[in-house]
Amino acid sequence: MEEKLGSISQTLIEGKADELQKQVQEALDGGATPEDVMNQALVAGMDAVGQQWKAGDMFIPEVIRSAKAMSGAMDIIRPKLSESGGAGSGTFVIGTVLRDLHDIGKDLVAMMMEGAGFKVVNLGIDLDAEVFVDAVKEHKPDILGMSALLTTTMPQMGEVINALKEAGIRDQVKVMVGGAPVSEEYAEEIGADSYAPNAATAVDKAKELLQA
Amino acid sequence: MATKMNQTNNQGPQFEVLTESQIEQIYASALDVLESVGARFHHEEALELFNNSEAVVTDKNLVRVPASLVERALRSYPRSIYLQGRNGKNQVRLVPNEVAYGTGSDLPFFIDRETGDRRSTSYKDVNDAARILDYLPNYEFHMSHGIVCDAPNPQTYDRHQYLAMLENSTKPMVLTSVDGEGLEDLWRIATTLVGGEDEFRLKPQFVAYIEPISPLNNDRTAVEKLLFAAEKGIPAMYTPCPSSGATAPATMAGMLVQSLAETLMAVALCHLKKPGMPLIMGGVTTVMDMHTTTYSYGAPELSLACAANTDISKWLGLRMFSTGGCSDSKTLDEQTAVEQMTSLFYAHLSGANLVHDVGYIGSGTIASLDSLVLNDELIGMVRKFCEGLNTDEDHLALDTIREVGPAGEYLTHEHTFEHWREWFMPKLQDRSDWDTWNTNNQKTMIDYLKEETDRILNEHEPEPIEPDQYKEIKKIVHEADERHS
Ligand code: B12
Repeated sequence: MEEKLGSISQTLIEGKADELQKQVQEALDGGATPEDVMNQALVAGMDAVGQQWKAGDMFIPEVIRSAKAMSGAMDIIRPKLSESGGAGSGTFVIGTVLRDLHDIGKDLVAMMMEGAGFKVVNLGIDLDAEVFVDAVKEHKPDILGMSALLTTTMPQMGEVINALKEAGIRDQVKVMVGGAPVSEEYAEEIGADSYAPNAATAVDKAKELLQA
Repeated sequence: MATKMNQTNNQGPQFEVLTESQIEQIYASALDVLESVGARFHHEEALELFNNSEAVVTDKNLVRVPASLVERALRSYPRSIYLQGRNGKNQVRLVPNEVAYGTGSDLPFFIDRETGDRRSTSYKDVNDAARILDYLPNYEFHMSHGIVCDAPNPQTYDRHQYLAMLENSTKPMVLTSVDGEGLEDLWRIATTLVGGEDEFRLKPQFVAYIEPISPLNNDRTAVEKLLFAAEKGIPAMYTPCPSSGATAPATMAGMLVQSLAETLMAVALCHLKKPGMPLIMGGVTTVMDMHTTTYSYGAPELSLACAANTDISKWLGLRMFSTGGCSDSKTLDEQTAVEQMTSLFYAHLSGANLVHDVGYIGSGTIASLDSLVLNDELIGMVRKFCEGLNTDEDHLALDTIREVGPAGEYLTHEHTFEHWREWFMPKLQDRSDWDTWNTNNQKTMIDYLKEETDRILNEHEPEPIEPDQYKEIKKIVHEADERHS
């Protein structure tokens, strides 16, 4: 079995989505627990991908390919995990704030979160505070991510946090912010729980938030 | 005396990235994209204009445009554009192969000259940058180097930036704006300075900076600005900012096809609105760094794609807004110098008209006054090289060589006296010997740079703006603040 799980990791690192789904299904059919597949094969594989990316041995297109494959595998694993009462990696909702049209950074963060096993809801760009509040109510995410690339739209992130408070749901979700003009200090100033300067760090910070 | 025939003299090196057949391939592919893929427009009037033409609008806002409309439109644009500063001087001529330099715009962070740290950009920073730009001889135009973060309202920062620049500089400008209303205010300010709407059309003082959203998407505010510029005859550029591999194909040619299609969409739209506005082609065409996800301002691909784009612009008969003198480094260091110099060189060789983003560090997020001063020196070197060399009788110097003869010297010859000032004169580079350098505290270029920046800030007094005009401009800015308060 250990060998099988190792080969799943390898398929994930190579980003072969169809092959990966097949292997995951086979492992489950062969009696592996969803927890083992998740932790020993998938999470282990994505950890390796993350390390290779940081070391400069893997690059964004390859990392995203693995992340997409991971997301496909999670579609199979997630229902099994909840059946057996185990927890997945959680839900992540993300969007770009009002009057801001920059989306590629936000999309990258979304893809990397998928790669980390999160169920991701990507709301889009130019979003009203209300949209964020409704999304938190609907999807009950563990983490809400907001992206702003303009100094002029950054304050909107604070507005959304206030709107969450007003709706009485601020304490139900962790808030994470990012974007080129955003900084650690700014995140603190508006009362966000976390900040990350890039997609790689975003994944690490999200995992920290879940453990906290 | 015998005279010469059939000479070819290169005054300056010749440089091209694309052959004519390659340009034709790219152009034909862009037309194909316009006809078969189309672009989205999130603006009612634009959709109506397209709907009333031979273009086809489907799926609410997807516009496909036939080649015939694009070709008709292309013929209606001016081939030369003349910009001028607020005092009527400092003309910039946008004619083929004439290169002018300027800053980039709207940097959210500034390097604080006291602490060396980055902090958010203020009105005063934009003031200082404008004053330095006004002084430095190798810059012909400028943009608001930083984004004024302490403006009373985020919806009016564009007016404050224009104000700060006008107070401190008499050079022509390229201006970003918040939306159509912002552009209208900027234009009202300029018409006040130049003496009315018609005068502005003859002597425009600024170009409006507008961008599509790659790939093939046009948001409401961008289109609003474009249509206003077309109506009033304001020079404008519609400059795609694709990142290869993320918002454009990972191949340079594919990125060029897509950005040309984006440009040609604007060509068609502005023509439908009102033929003849001075539309300028643009592009910050670069790659997304696949290790860090950074939109790279220092990549050689940026220079390559921008130079190729300039080749295309010349073939189309449009003037070109290009990019150079920028870097991904976070501070002034070796990386900055290498990246800035490389992109300046290629931009100049390509013969682009307005080379912007000069001085950018931190991948388009950080401004540094010292970096602006550094680039003035770099541009000087580039200009010297690209001037090429003269091979007339006097410059061939046969007579002088004869007179000096074998084993002579040129130092005392009149010919030397007459010509050595044609050379580039470094201001910030140290060419002294070891001992002199040692006794001079081992100063490096960075030290000279800082001194020069201090000196300019202390000494340069820009030509003041007429008090009456200033009052009127302030009024327009104030009214905008009131409207948005
Ligand atoms: C490409 C670009 C555009 C494109 C965007 C296309 C698109 N589909 O996204 C276009 C051309 C549309 C555009 C428009 C404008 N832009 Co722009 N743009 C850029 C540019 C050059 C690169 C952005 C980018 O794609 N970076 C690559 C991605 C992958 O990185 P990223 O977005 O930073 O995301 C990473 C991190 O920030 C982080 N992150 C991002 N979001 C989140 C969220 C969370 C939760 C977390 C944890 C992390 C995180 O992780 C990401 C991945 O590693 C930047 C300069 C820069 N270096 O940032 C300017 C920049 C952001 N733009 C700027 C400006 C001024 C504008 C305009 C206002 C220009 C104008 N006047 O018309 C308009 C505004 C339009 C609008 N209303 O939003 C300024 C901002 C100045 C300011 N006010 O603060 C910048 C800094 C450039 C400049 N100096 O002019 N722009």
